[in-house]
Amino acid sequence: MGKGNSKQHQPNSNESTHNLKGTFIAVMLLGVFILVSWFGFYALFLSR
Amino acid sequence: MTKVQLPLSKKESRLYMAFMWVTYISLFVGGLMGLLQTLVRSGKYTLPFNIDYYTILTVHGVILGLVLTTFFIIGFQFSLMGKTVGISDKQLKVAWLSFWVMLVGTIMAAITILVGEASVLYTFYAPLRAHPAFYIGLALVIVGSWIAAFVNFRQLYVWKKAHKGEKSPLPAFMVIINMLMWFIATIGVATSVLVLFIPWSLGYAETINVLLSRTLFWYFGHPLVYFWLLPAYMAWYVVIPKIIGGKLFSDALARMAFILLLMFSIPVGFHHQLTEPGIDPTWKFIQVVLTFMVVIPSLMTAFSIFATFETTGRRKGFKSLFGWFKKLPWKDVRFLAPFIGMAAFIPGGAGGIVNASHQMNALVHNTIWITGHFHLTAATTVVLTFFGITYWLVPHLTGRRLTPRLNKLGIIQTFIWTFGMTIMSGSMHIQGLLGGPRRSSFSEYAGGEQVATWINYQIAQAVGGTILFIGILLMVYIFIQLTFFAPRGVQEYPIAVEEDDAEPTPKILENWYLWIGITIALILFAYTIPVIDIIKHSPPGSPPFDWLIGR
Ligand SMILES: [Cu+2]
Repeated sequence: MGKGNSKQHQPNSNESTHNLKGTFIAVMLLGVFILVSWFGFYALFLSR
Repeated sequence: MTKVQLPLSKKESRLYMAFMWVTYISLFVGGLMGLLQTLVRSGKYTLPFNIDYYTILTVHGVILGLVLTTFFIIGFQFSLMGKTVGISDKQLKVAWLSFWVMLVGTIMAAITILVGEASVLYTFYAPLRAHPAFYIGLALVIVGSWIAAFVNFRQLYVWKKAHKGEKSPLPAFMVIINMLMWFIATIGVATSVLVLFIPWSLGYAETINVLLSRTLFWYFGHPLVYFWLLPAYMAWYVVIPKIIGGKLFSDALARMAFILLLMFSIPVGFHHQLTEPGIDPTWKFIQVVLTFMVVIPSLMTAFSIFATFETTGRRKGFKSLFGWFKKLPWKDVRFLAPFIGMAAFIPGGAGGIVNASHQMNALVHNTIWITGHFHLTAATTVVLTFFGITYWLVPHLTGRRLTPRLNKLGIIQTFIWTFGMTIMSGSMHIQGLLGGPRRSSFSEYAGGEQVATWINYQIAQAVGGTILFIGILLMVYIFIQLTFFAPRGVQEYPIAVEEDDAEPTPKILENWYLWIGITIALILFAYTIPVIDIIKHSPPGSPPFDWLIGR
């Protein structure tokens, strides 16, 4: 493990492995979900 | 990177399997009690032989919440340690001692509950008084787990001495964090049991400081849930990447998340006591703020998991934004069960933030929403991940294989569990928002409009509970198959390795003095003044109440 210098001759695969756009969007959606649910329950609290 | 996997000897495997046996016997016993509870609460069934509802409720909570989890976790963690840093013969002997001490304690507590002498629920709130054997049994379980913790500490220490300058294997690091947290947290409940409950239940002390006992309990009670969750995180960080054919996303991120969880799991117990009179609201506020810090390592974990999925999928050639998602091994139960566990943690975590917010806590406090919440987090997220681990761990230990047939049964089990829990936990959440109380046996509360809105949800819980019990029977069957009957072979112990071009992990992440120091400082900050307050200004203590629980 860890031998050879894959970095050198496979710049493409390396680039694609570090494409984390989907991850970024997914985590943002997660944050939005948490906020929306929190404010939803807060509204329920206020309405009671 | 150094070699991560050591072979497990027959002798060690026997120990780890012993823990698994207690786990699955507990699952059956505790699950049966859960089924009975939901049936009673449907209003259509009464328990035979005069068995008290609160007896089976206590068995359910103690056996599943305290026994199943602790045995599974300690067994699984021992196997991780054995795989990565190894165990000596002497350590193995002490590890067996921990098993037996825990088992004796468990049996002692279980018998006391079953004969109706300890129907005090798993939180054992004073002034309900159980028979001393119950508290002594619990204390033994804790002492046994401490022995295990110190064996783990010793294992890493010995490894470190033999591998000067190397960073500890990630799984071992995570185990140590969890056991440190467990040790620091259980000091609270052990103090409560030894200093307050045992003398009082024996009659040496006439009264008990109720508020202090509850505060010490919740000092332990919140880290308890993280003690369940961290082994699931271990699987998500180091096992799942391997199963999906990928690599560890970031060793340093994983360690940092675990350190943050250690720091912010303990000084936060007041979020379980937000309605407690006798605690200054300022300190409740401070502990709520500290509670919210847990969002950080949780989202770090989510990020890391998504990133592992995406990186692995892209490496396999998926270009579109979420194309990598489809490529995940959905037909492999070792992946599917923990994945559904992760998914359940999204609403579970969101619900947890609601619970910890003072105003919204008033909305759900002591309602069955809370029960729904921990059936989503503990009984779905954690338990499905533990099942997911079982599918490879047990055959690995018994020298057998997870066959395609057992894999298929596992997938069916996962669906049964998900379906049953969606119904049961979902209806608990809704009924809680309608004001339905938790803990209580069936009652019509002398009628009333609001009460009438609850019964359909209680029937739904009985339906969900029945489906879940079928799931338990299937899981126990799979466990027995994997232990005795599956064909002989080699089942992989999946531990992911780092990327070839991974950045080196900063040394500071293994500075134990620093992280333990901050943890203790935060605890002292969050608890010292309010506890002094509680001791100084408490009302007179309470004498015991036995008749309330039918003693
Ligand atoms: Cu908590």
